[in-house]
Amino acid sequence: MVETQEDTICFMNLAIEQARLALDSLEVPVGCVIVEDHTVIASGRNRTTETRNATRHAEMEAIDMLLEHWQKDGLSREEVASKFSRCTLYVTCEPCIMCAAALSIIGIKEVYYGCANDKFGGCGSILSLHMNSSEKLTSGVSKKKGFKCTRGVMASEAIDLLRSFYEQGNPNAGRVNTVFTLIQPQSLTESQCKGSKQFDTSCRGAVMKNVTCLRSY
Amino acid sequence: MTGSTDGRAASSSNCWKIIHIPDKPPIPPDNQPTTIVHAAAIEPQHANTIVRKLNQIAPLENLRHVKRVHKRCLDEGKIQLFVVLCMAPENDGKCNHMPEEVLELVTLYQLSTFITKVCTYAASTKEEWEEQCKLWPTSFHPPTYNIDGITGFSEEDSQSIFRFMKFAVSLAKSGVGSVVNAAVIVDPSTMQVIASSRDQVLSCNTPIKKNNGETCCSRLSEATQYDTIETEDRQSLLSKCSFNDAKLTYNCVSCLNPWSWLEQKLHTGSGSWHPLQHAAIVAIENSAARERDLFPMNGHIADEFVHEDYKALSPTGSPWKRQKINLANVKDDENMNCQKNGLRSDSSRPYLCTGYDIYLVWEPCTMCAMALVHQRIRRIFYAFPNSSDGALGSVHRLQGEKSLNHHYAVFRVLIPVDVLKSEALFAITAENG
Repeated sequence: MVETQEDTICFMNLAIEQARLALDSLEVPVGCVIVEDHTVIASGRNRTTETRNATRHAEMEAIDMLLEHWQKDGLSREEVASKFSRCTLYVTCEPCIMCAAALSIIGIKEVYYGCANDKFGGCGSILSLHMNSSEKLTSGVSKKKGFKCTRGVMASEAIDLLRSFYEQGNPNAGRVNTVFTLIQPQSLTESQCKGSKQFDTSCRGAVMKNVTCLRSY
Repeated sequence: MTGSTDGRAASSSNCWKIIHIPDKPPIPPDNQPTTIVHAAAIEPQHANTIVRKLNQIAPLENLRHVKRVHKRCLDEGKIQLFVVLCMAPENDGKCNHMPEEVLELVTLYQLSTFITKVCTYAASTKEEWEEQCKLWPTSFHPPTYNIDGITGFSEEDSQSIFRFMKFAVSLAKSGVGSVVNAAVIVDPSTMQVIASSRDQVLSCNTPIKKNNGETCCSRLSEATQYDTIETEDRQSLLSKCSFNDAKLTYNCVSCLNPWSWLEQKLHTGSGSWHPLQHAAIVAIENSAARERDLFPMNGHIADEFVHEDYKALSPTGSPWKRQKINLANVKDDENMNCQKNGLRSDSSRPYLCTGYDIYLVWEPCTMCAMALVHQRIRRIFYAFPNSSDGALGSVHRLQGEKSLNHHYAVFRVLIPVDVLKSEALFAITAENG
């Protein structure tokens, strides 16, 4: 089933709602939803402060939710893998290197994200793990999996939330007069990632001025 | 940089060794990239004036590590000074283009110029630096100077590192199935094992839900966390070296092949499985569970953490500014660590894994290596490299990824491969026990 732009905005809104829940709990506001066949089947938000575990990012929470649910339903690993390969993730901020690697390992089909993550991003900013693909190396070593990736979906909303988080925390935050601009949805194709430097810098420069350390704990 | 084993181990040719895995891919020290510069001999009484003038008219922007002046002792005990005038851009083999102002200086002091080579990049190891100085002197600032071990380990430190690595190896072999990866998180200030774990991709035995803290591994870590390694080490080594493995395969080491979770054979009778439960990820969760148990959350502290993380945040502007800010972040991190240590002495509450070491049998994959950045691990020790997805030098090199807000130091502990065979490990135990 092909998602319309309207659908994309709708699902990203739900991810933003998750990010808002994180903000209410004094967590760095990043949220996500996972969609299978047009239906939201899982959601997650950052829980790093609450769990004292800095790896509990929204994506990891949502993935764990699904794994638990599907195993309870008695699904086999093959069935789980085939389900993941039909799933799309909507997340408010670019998955970090860890989450991008995890999404590749579970074999997700597609990812839409809001703002870029200039310090930790694993889908175009620092590493491009969504382009992870390799031929079978030797017998016994499985193929690395890539996934389709689109960035800039409702980036300004994602940034606003992150901003309000930092404003909450710091009286000096008001002095930051960086201008955030919304990046237009762009598919991260190979040529854009590798070829066009101009595209890359304009995109990062505009969005990531203030939102760099988001997923740092 | 290296530590040798004790006499007994060495006599049985089990040479254990620790090597630092630097931020940059290693370059042979005697084969470093060089840049051509104009230089000249100068009179010592003019040195100050000339250098000051040169710093104004021809600053060595990208060669800040290169010393402007080179002092050479001549045979009769006399000293000869040489100075770098400016870079010598190569144009079709001709390098005689000097800026006008430099030429004026050359004429004024009647300098006879010559072309020479200097190293293009700052040295990252002492060995590199020593080689560089043979060409032209440079300055050397040891990287991550604040982390113990970069400049070598004492005999005592080496021995405890080997002991923890042996414990990790024994855990890796302790299951019913094949060898897997294992992780041991240690607080080096107390030599206490904070958490330990094995890969749980194929069998967790228990629900994935971590908040219950009831996974098999968290039970194990509960048993070990208040113990010193010595007792645990001996117990596990002795109890787990009973199975006989004629043929060793490493297919079940999660970090070596993260994408193969579907193809591996599940252990019969195992409970749940989880494609992301690599040893390091499980160990991080176990240490977090320990922290939650020992120091239940209260709002006040939660607030403090938010503030502290905020301190490391700086709005970044131009690339130039960003570089400065990254340096500031490093300082901030140090301040944060100090604050956290202060906090610790008050309430002995740890902040994530700040100050802790982790021992892994195999070099962690990209996911695990980044998880260890997030959790603020201080040093990583691994025994075997991971050519398919290793992120500490093999495929990626996260310790050298400047944009990250935390950098750990990475060491490889060279151990004989046959240590993975039960008999070999047993032999070590017998020797040491």
